[in-house]
Order: sequence, then C-alpha cells, then structure tokens
Amino acid sequence: MIRTTDLTKTYLMGKVEVPALKEVNISIRKGEFVAIMGPSGSGKSTLLRIMGLLDNPTAGTVELDGMDVLKLSDREKVKIRLTELGYVFQEYALLPELSGLKNVYLLLLMMGKTKKESIKEATDILVKVGLGDRIHHMPHEMSGGEQQRVAVARALVADPKIIFADEPCANLDTGSSGQILELFKKLNRELDQTIVMVTHEEWHTKYVDRVIKLKDGLIEKEY
Amino acid sequence: MLQEFRVSFFLAYEYLTRGNKGISLFTIFLLTLVFLQLVFFSAILGGVTEKFDSQIIDYQTGNIIIEPKENEEYIEDYDGLLRKINAYPEVIGITARTKGAGKIEYEDREVGATILGIDPDDETTVTKIDSAIVEGDFISKLDRGEIIMGRELSGGYGALMETRSLGGLEVGDTVTMTIGPAQKDFRVKGIYTTFFFLSDSSAYINKADMDEMLGIENRAHEINIKLEPGVDEEEFRTTLQGTGINEKIMVWTEFTGIIEMITSTLSKIRDILNIIGLLVTFVIIFVVIYVNIINRRKQIGVQKAIGIDRNVIIGSFVLQAAFYAFCDIMAGFILMQYGITPATKAHPLWFPVGFVTLQVSNNEALFRGLLLFSAAIIASFIPTRRLVDKDLLELIWGG
Repeated sequence: MIRTTDLTKTYLMGKVEVPALKEVNISIRKGEFVAIMGPSGSGKSTLLRIMGLLDNPTAGTVELDGMDVLKLSDREKVKIRLTELGYVFQEYALLPELSGLKNVYLLLLMMGKTKKESIKEATDILVKVGLGDRIHHMPHEMSGGEQQRVAVARALVADPKIIFADEPCANLDTGSSGQILELFKKLNRELDQTIVMVTHEEWHTKYVDRVIKLKDGLIEKEY
Repeated sequence: MLQEFRVSFFLAYEYLTRGNKGISLFTIFLLTLVFLQLVFFSAILGGVTEKFDSQIIDYQTGNIIIEPKENEEYIEDYDGLLRKINAYPEVIGITARTKGAGKIEYEDREVGATILGIDPDDETTVTKIDSAIVEGDFISKLDRGEIIMGRELSGGYGALMETRSLGGLEVGDTVTMTIGPAQKDFRVKGIYTTFFFLSDSSAYINKADMDEMLGIENRAHEINIKLEPGVDEEEFRTTLQGTGINEKIMVWTEFTGIIEMITSTLSKIRDILNIIGLLVTFVIIFVVIYVNIINRRKQIGVQKAIGIDRNVIIGSFVLQAAFYAFCDIMAGFILMQYGITPATKAHPLWFPVGFVTLQVSNNEALFRGLLLFSAAIIASFIPTRRLVDKDLLELIWGG
C-alpha cells in the first residue's frame, strides 16, 4: 500500500544540518494498523508527515499503491490528500466556525458532492464514530474526545486509503484516549482501514498490529 | 470552477455567520468610515466648487449673456431683443444692463468700482442681489439718485478688503460717483453681501441714472438671461444663434476668469485627495483583512492539509472582504444620502464663500463605491494568496 525507500530528511538550523530521518525504508500493507514510536526527536512525526504528503523529504521516495507520489505537482498532491488520505492531528484541527457536521461534509463538498449527499454521508460517518446526537454542536461545545472523534470522522468520510494520525491522544485523558483507540481498532477491523499512528504511549501498542520504533532518524526495531 | 466557488461561498458564509460578530461589525464600521471619508471630502470640495459657480450665475451673470456685436459698444434697441428672448419657455428671467467703470467718493476716501445700471424689477428675475441686502433696501424701479453697493465697497459687514473700501459708510450716506466726465451724487439705499468678493465689489444704480450719466438711450451693454433649472446652456445658446441674433451670445462659464482658476485648482486638489484617499483606503482594508487572515493561519494550514484547494481558500476570504465592502458601501451610501447630505441641506456648512451643501451625485458615489470594492478585493486577495502559498507545516505548527 505505502512504501518508503531511503527516506531522508535533513533540517538546516542556521548553518548546521540536523538529520531527522536517515534512509528509512518501511512498507505498510493494506488493512494494517501501524504505530510509529520513539523518543522526542526520533523523526516519527517527520516520517508521518512525509508519508502523508504534508512535507517533502530531502531524499528518497514514497510510493502509494506503486505510484511515486513525491513526483506529483502541488495541485495533484492536494487532490491525493483530499481523496486518498485522511488526517487526525494531535490538536484536533477542526475549523472553529463550523459545526461537527459541517467540518466533516466540507470535504465532501470539495469532492463535488451535492449538499444533500454530503450531509447524509457526513451524518452517517458521525453516527459511526458515536457522535450521532452531537453533530450540530460547535467544536467549542464539545469535549476533547468528541472533537477528536469529529476529526476521525472527517479523516474517514472520503473513504481514504490510509489514515495518518499524529499523536491523536496527546491532548486526551486516558478514558478518552482509550475510546479513540478503540474506534481506530474498530475501523481497522470492520472496514479494513489502513491506519498509521504516531504515539509515544507504550500502552497504545496493544491496539495496533505492528510497531515501528525509531531512534535518531533510524528504524530501531519493528515488532 | 463553480464547485470551487460553491465551497468558497460555504466557507465565507460560515465564517461570517459563525465568526466573531464584533470583529465583523468593527470591520464594517471601519470601512464605512473609510468610504465616507472617500466621498465626504470630495463632496465638500464639490459643494464649494458648486457654490463658486452658483455665485457667478446668481449674483453676476445669469446663465446666458448677450454682448454687443463685434466692434460695437452697445446693444441697440434692446427692448425688441428682450421680448423675443423672453418668449422662450426655457427663460425665467431677463434683464438689460449698462455698465461703467467709475469712481465713488465718500468723505476723504475714494474707490474704483464696476457700476451697473439695472432695471430693478427685471434684475430680480435674473440675479439674487435683492436677497443679499444686509442693511437698507434694494433699489426700486422709480428710485433715482440711489445706489446699493457691496460690502467690499462700503466697508464693514466682514469685508475682506476693508482698507480698500469707503471705510464703513452707512445707509443714508451720500457718495459722489464719477463715470467719465459725468459726476452725480447718490444716496446709499442698501448694502449687500453675497460673501463673494467679486460680486461684493460692485454697485448698482437705476439704469435711467446710468443712461443719463453715459448720455445714451435705449441701449445696453449686456443682456442677462436666467434659464429654467436643468436647461442645457450650450443648447440654448445654439437655439438663440439659430434665430438670427447677431450679438455675441455667451454662456456664464466664459466669464469665470479667476473663478475658473480657483475651481480648477479645487478640482485638482479633489483628484489628489481622491488618490490619497484611495491609497489610505487600500492600506486600511489591507491591514484589517490581513489581521483577520493572519489570525486564521492555522486554519488555512489545516484546510490545505485536508485537501481544500488553494483557490477555494483564497476565494473564501475574498468573498468575506467583498461582503464587508458591500455592507460598508451600502451603509456609507445610506448615511450620506439620507443622513449627512440632508443635514447639510438643512444646516449648510459655513465657508468664506458662503453656505455650502455637500454635492455628491449617485454616479460619483457609485464610482467611489466600485473603487473601494475593487480595493477590498485586491487587498484581501494579496495577503490571502501570500499566506496560502506558505509552507503547510509553517502554517499549522509555525515551524
């Protein structure tokens, strides 16, 4: 499904080169729920962002279903992000002026669906993530866990090939974190949804199929 | 394209209806003030220019002036000409005048002045000198040996050139007038002021007195015509020219002289102020919208991340700016049309040239509205595009 080859990322801090990723090669199959772990500065978020087409590597390739997506134009990448990839960010990243429902159906409108279709599909997905009775609430009227579920629904609504989740539980208490991870697991199991998640919590690993541990920009181990 | 517009519209609508109402109202208020300043100064200068024009028409020339034929000093047998022209429905007043450059003496002072011999009844159909009397009365048809003079001649009443006047004579005083070899005493019957120094530097006597001093009969130096409001003066001149009148037919604008210089100067100032006003407008809109946008940089980053096209994001902010601009133009126009302009009509603003009301046509307001609207579009497009094209990670995480 997604494969990186010799993925390298070097940041320039003034005149000093700081390597974040050093020729990382990973491969994730369809339907896998993978956790990328590692200490701060290990390059886990950088790896996720490059695989999610949010950042560019210094060298290396990213293939999505055999296509080198880094060679695409910016406009084509936007389209891939809209239709093939889903994102869940640590800080929810909902648009504050849009209700839960509208945060989700915005993507469907962007894909050219009618308002009626968009509302129906967005409502269905919000019901699926357990927010059926909160769809018209504004983000500031929701708890952190509820906002993150809206973010999950938004990531799911376009039926993406992969969902990228960057520390989705970092701002949540243990109870809410457990609910979000259960939701990911359920989506992974029932919909065969591929999920790549960055986390630093060891207890999250019980929900995933595979763990890739990074250290200093290199894969330390996989299990 | 239409689909992108639909999403832009959706986002703009949600931002406006769900966003901070205080910021929206403040933005509209600020831009309304900007629109008003754009229109207001222009309208005041327009009002002053209009005042200068009306001063000439109302207190000096009327709309059309007929002067003697080439190489002739007088219009002969002007009565026939008066009757002929008066028959036109466009004409609401007509008068014949004789003019002379003379000297007026009072006690130990003397001034040079243009003295007009008028038929008082006819004169009031063309000019408003009779309503500008500040002391005494206007001369009547039967008055002989009486004179009315402007404040610049009499002195007092706020005259601008007091030292060159007769030093504050009063109604009832007697002055001695000399025109050529003729000399005659006149009793001051009235003093007038139009607040316009050129008009206030003249004196009026009965035409019979003037004719007697000049030794002429049934002759005039000029015929002045007042037209119905709205009649095109150039067209009317052409009409008169087509009837076989051989005298020189002129429109009041040909007599503006120094006034034309003043009004064209005002017009230039108005143009410069407009350009400066527009630049200030552009900067204010740019700053207001930029601050609004910069506060949403993370949202813009998130929208880019989840696959919202850059044109859609730019469009959503440009639509908001267009909405603000539309609201402030409407608010400014309504305030101007139904608040400020009627208020200045009821209570005209005092300027040295007289009371001035704001002059702004709907077309001019619309034009300025369009300028402001365009400025809003450009001022929102530029910062949004710059921000949207920034690196995605920098927008979301500031890194």
